[in-house]
Amino acid sequence: MSAPPLLDRRLLFVIGKGGVGKTTVAGAMALGLADTGRRTLLVEVASEQRSEALFGVAPPAGIVPAEARPNLDVLSIDTDTATEEYLARQLPMRPLVELMVRSRAFHQVAQAAPGLSELVTVGKLWDFATAVQGGAPVWDRIVVDAPATGHGIALLEVAGQIRELASSGPIREQAAKIEQVIHHPAATGVAVVAIPEDLAVSEAIEAVAALRARDLPVAAAVMNAVRASTVMPADEAPLRKVADSAAGDAERAAALAAIDTLVAARHDAAETESLVRGTDLPVVSLPDVPDLRPGSGGLERLAAALMADRRTGGGV
Amino acid sequence: MSTDLLAMVEGRRVVVVAGAGGVGKTTVSAALALGLAGRGARVAVVTIDPARRLATALGIEALGDIPHRVDAARVTAAGMQMRGTMDALQLDPRATFDRLVAREAPDDAARERILGNRIYRHLSSTVAGAQEFMAVERLFELSESGDYDVVVLDTPPARNALDFLDAPERMTRFVEGRGLRLLLGPRGGAGRVGWRALQAGGSMVMSVLERLTGAELIGDISEFLQSFDGMYQGFADRASAVKDLLASDGTRFVVVTGPRPEPSAEAMALWRRLQTDRYPLGALVVNRVHAMPGGGDTPPAQLAALLRDAGAPDPDGLAVRATDALEVARARARADLHEVDTLVSSLGDPALITVPALDADPVEVAGIAHITRALGAP
Repeated sequence: MSAPPLLDRRLLFVIGKGGVGKTTVAGAMALGLADTGRRTLLVEVASEQRSEALFGVAPPAGIVPAEARPNLDVLSIDTDTATEEYLARQLPMRPLVELMVRSRAFHQVAQAAPGLSELVTVGKLWDFATAVQGGAPVWDRIVVDAPATGHGIALLEVAGQIRELASSGPIREQAAKIEQVIHHPAATGVAVVAIPEDLAVSEAIEAVAALRARDLPVAAAVMNAVRASTVMPADEAPLRKVADSAAGDAERAAALAAIDTLVAARHDAAETESLVRGTDLPVVSLPDVPDLRPGSGGLERLAAALMADRRTGGGV
Repeated sequence: MSTDLLAMVEGRRVVVVAGAGGVGKTTVSAALALGLAGRGARVAVVTIDPARRLATALGIEALGDIPHRVDAARVTAAGMQMRGTMDALQLDPRATFDRLVAREAPDDAARERILGNRIYRHLSSTVAGAQEFMAVERLFELSESGDYDVVVLDTPPARNALDFLDAPERMTRFVEGRGLRLLLGPRGGAGRVGWRALQAGGSMVMSVLERLTGAELIGDISEFLQSFDGMYQGFADRASAVKDLLASDGTRFVVVTGPRPEPSAEAMALWRRLQTDRYPLGALVVNRVHAMPGGGDTPPAQLAALLRDAGAPDPDGLAVRATDALEVARARARADLHEVDTLVSSLGDPALITVPALDADPVEVAGIAHITRALGAP
């Protein structure tokens, strides 16, 4: 049986190297899902509260989301708060929790133990994905804006790592449970974001290979900021003729600008083709939108483009 | 307003190139290294990202922990001089840390104990700032080796580009492990029993931790910290030496950004922090700035006539689309200019270099050389 398309999965991780617009893509995805009737939660893990620039609503730092749009809640997850909450659930008495939280030794263990804080984060994400109120899920989709590539993958494989390191105890059991969910393509989907530049594309291809090698459910790639041209191939020769002619500066500048858009669009299409070939995934192309500020309609355009693609579960 | 960055950093021992992810830091670092090598210096450039295309452009099979020499003939063929030498390498955090441990460990047994510890094996991927620490450590190692006149460091794409400045100290504190040491003590060390008793609640913390994670993990951490006993001072000395080097006049910081609000905000924060902490600032490089297209305005009808003569299938439509394209290009150039102006005015007229946007990523030495020329007279 084949796995469902990306947008039909409950827990969606958006990963990619710095500067590719990961936060924008995660924001557009969350907005698109919310606008098509799914109660969606957008979670930032790198705690930079970047989605504020997209929605004009600062995602609260902590573990309690705030509403940014109808159907759309936002949160910038805070590891310390999440850890405290985790301890409160594990330990019988509040004073014990406080003792732990205040203890330098505890923080040192949390820092030294490979991935303990990531595990708490992923565990919290899973809490959100399974939260129920009045018999219905609180959110239908959790979109995670993961940290830049290396770390994004670390977040996904942390459960396995912990299971290997912690010999016993509740942490080991939780890690095993989370590991199962994270690896399950019916529940979790990973989208890798790139931009049409050689380095970004090769990194995205490497990330997809790394995800597959770890048996993580990578479901789609997104090519962000793809430049389009209104110039047809048949226009190129006449434009070049004018550009090279003794026509006025203004005419030549316009012809050159038009040619530039064609060259840029070709370049970006070739990069997209490399991404398709290198990943063998459905690749969604998003247009280069210069203005993404709230009210500009830019993010809505990207959301619509993401939701229009049938291969990722949109367009229905 | 343009600064000769090459002249500015010439004669320094260390050049740190920092900035947000995706602004072309690696290429700027390589271009800078190429320019300095061209002027006669023995240069090493350390990249953090796996920059395969850069390696290819430099004619290197694959960048690794060991320096690779860039073939001078390749550089001169691109029209650049090459009076010095240029080596390129890519940071391997594990290899760097292993060497550091080997150097600082009191004996072979201690070294083996650390290298085999499970916490240590995961360290470079888990402890915050570990990668930044290794980058700075490698920089120091190369700088001290005497093999190079100058080392150019392309800093890691950190969540916060400032992380690497604090990395040595943070790592030292971690290895020191104050909080834990008190609780764990050497296993069976009677001398510490008193400490344990004094730490009200301390043993409870440990027992809760053991209950949550299993005793094995705590044991591993305890062993890890114990094996670093006696090495802590070495780490601390090293961290302070690195800090001194970075703050000295032998170093210059170069901050790279693109003409967009997000990386610029990060660049501004970085610049201010460097200024406040009195690190030796070099220049701010704004990479990929779009040039303003020349020419005045043209009525589409006039362009349409030219296009008709040139055989365009839809000259009127194309003329409109072409003038639109020109307007878009101008708007983009204006936006870039505005971003540069914002940087200049909010940072109080810093030494600034703008690098023009290239049509494509630099895939050959010629492409990197193009940026080198923008950075200063080669």
